[in-house]
Amino acid sequence: MNGSALLQGALAGLASGGLYAVLAVTLTLMSRLVRVVNFAQAATGMFAAFSAVWFADKLGLPTWFAIIAGVIVGALLSGIIGWIAATWLSESTVTLRSAMTVAPLLLLISLSFIMFGNKPQPFEPILSGPAFSVAGVVVSWVTVVMAALAITVAAACSILLRKTTVGTKLRALSERPTTAELIGIAAKPLSIGVWAVTGAISAITIMVIAPSQSNDAISLSMLIIPAAAAALLGGFRRLDLAVVGGLSLGIITGIVAQIPAVSFVRNFIPFLFIVILLLWSQRKEVWDAAR
Amino acid sequence: MKRKIAGIAAMTTVTAIALTGCAGSDGGGEGAPIKIGSVNTLSGAATFPEASEAAQAVFDRVNADGGVNGHKIEYNTVDDKGDPAAATAAARELVGSDEVVALIGGASLIECDINKKYYEQEGVKSMPGIGVDPGCFNSPSIAPVNIGPYNDMTLTLLNGSENLGIDDICVMLEIAGSTLPAYTAGVERWTEITGKKPIFVDDTVPYGGSDYTPYIVKAKEAGCKAIAVNAMEPDAIGQVKAAQAQGWDDVTFLFLTSVYSENFAKALDWTSAGAHIPAEFYPFTEDSEINADWSGLMKENNIALTSFSQGGYLAATYFVEVLKSIDGNITRESVAAALEGMDPIDNPMVAYEYQFKKAAEQDYEPGAWPVELKSGTRAWEKAAEDWLLFPSSK
Repeated sequence: MNGSALLQGALAGLASGGLYAVLAVTLTLMSRLVRVVNFAQAATGMFAAFSAVWFADKLGLPTWFAIIAGVIVGALLSGIIGWIAATWLSESTVTLRSAMTVAPLLLLISLSFIMFGNKPQPFEPILSGPAFSVAGVVVSWVTVVMAALAITVAAACSILLRKTTVGTKLRALSERPTTAELIGIAAKPLSIGVWAVTGAISAITIMVIAPSQSNDAISLSMLIIPAAAAALLGGFRRLDLAVVGGLSLGIITGIVAQIPAVSFVRNFIPFLFIVILLLWSQRKEVWDAAR
Repeated sequence: MKRKIAGIAAMTTVTAIALTGCAGSDGGGEGAPIKIGSVNTLSGAATFPEASEAAQAVFDRVNADGGVNGHKIEYNTVDDKGDPAAATAAARELVGSDEVVALIGGASLIECDINKKYYEQEGVKSMPGIGVDPGCFNSPSIAPVNIGPYNDMTLTLLNGSENLGIDDICVMLEIAGSTLPAYTAGVERWTEITGKKPIFVDDTVPYGGSDYTPYIVKAKEAGCKAIAVNAMEPDAIGQVKAAQAQGWDDVTFLFLTSVYSENFAKALDWTSAGAHIPAEFYPFTEDSEINADWSGLMKENNIALTSFSQGGYLAATYFVEVLKSIDGNITRESVAAALEGMDPIDNPMVAYEYQFKKAAEQDYEPGAWPVELKSGTRAWEKAAEDWLLFPSSK
């Protein structure tokens, strides 16, 4: 085992790292702005991507049009879940609101089996092929776009929250929902808007990544697990750490695959990541307070 | 007290007689139906509905022609959902309460391993259309029609090293459940036959993983010219796409029959130096007299043309022939005896003659037909003019 193989592994893991990072950013946004950990985040993207394939394949729409239609499906689906949360669970705890999203996760997986079958979808790659090489490892366009997308989305959201009126309103809503409503901020449309935007981002992400990896409903929907592990690094609050968490998780996975002695743990990496982070974050808690 | 014990003993005896003597539906009555069942994975993440659908189509045709010696066939397919508890319940429903005479034409991910002991205990024979898990290939009660993924592994490696002349082959295994020893044995058989060894065997490749880039990079680094993988469709597509993203344009993929489908060919426009598989039955993507009866029957019944429906069709066809050879009552015992003592059946859709006992003991010469998917064609084509065989392991 030499350094170059490890570097190769690290670069190879960057594509999935970027994917985890984008999803982690959307999860962090949801957690900060609409007080929810959305378990259906990746499933929404999966369903949107499958719809896009169906539009292109069965209805014969041009690819670009199918992609746009798919993104709209993603935004709508996420918006509907958001509407449910805003209508019936607006005063509920984060735990309860998050638990609710498990239902759409399972619903979307089952629905995709019913509507699109359980065979892999004939995805047309939006991006394909190598962008450049580093140390003999080809870095694909998908990797470049994913990593860039993660950073861009995180930066854009950061700016939006700090510098714009909408951002200020959103922050107000998440910090003091009742006070914000009393001074006349429309909570429901804003929070549904956040849901819809993150749904659209997930849809775009899955559409970029799906053609270059396993793209059945379950593996795409379960991307939520590594994404949640990545978001945990930033405590579901910090966008920059969510990006770092996603990229590191991808890189670690890539490196572990190269070392035969430890490659058996590669399936548990997100889990280990979560356990270590939880232990670390609780390190200063004394027994009484931590309970 | 003694009387009580004697009473209990008598009752036990009566119950035992009832349970053993009457096991299997009494097909002796004039015109009574012959009950057959099958356990299948019909719902869940990976499903194989075509095998039992094809068997059903064969039995329907037999019934339309008057049945077997005047008896109609009643065929009951039960779903095991890929779930061990459901698979156990399905076997008990068919064997215990339906009292089927045999299990024919099923295809399940997990059923054989779980139910083989029960079938042995109940004296019921099973002839799956497609045997998947290792239990299908090491029980005297179960004899699948197909050669199975482990022989398939040996054949895909043979195809790579002998037909395609590739020396540097790497083996990547996705292991679900207890399949590792069986696959390892399949790779070792290839080494025994050819004296060649894989560059490496990586048995940590994730099943249903998302991004296979790290594994592809590892294989590319190791200097593999071909990779032999036991992936199901979605994973195999992921692996090919990962190689494409890496610009690895001189690798040959050696897959198993599990990816041999129109759907897989449609999903991949780029397959590097080609994706090769040993088709367990005569390639269904070819127009040929050999498959004419099967494909005609499938189209008539709107059943997908896949290797799975070939397996189900063959199992049912073989079984009908065995049923016709039985003189006297068709019971579980007479069917088991007929299967045990059957003459070998030859069918041009398969490389070898099928004989229940030999198939159960894995004592035959497995063979398959090499098929390839070239880049840019989106269609499978024959890659050889004859079956590729290897000497039996017995």
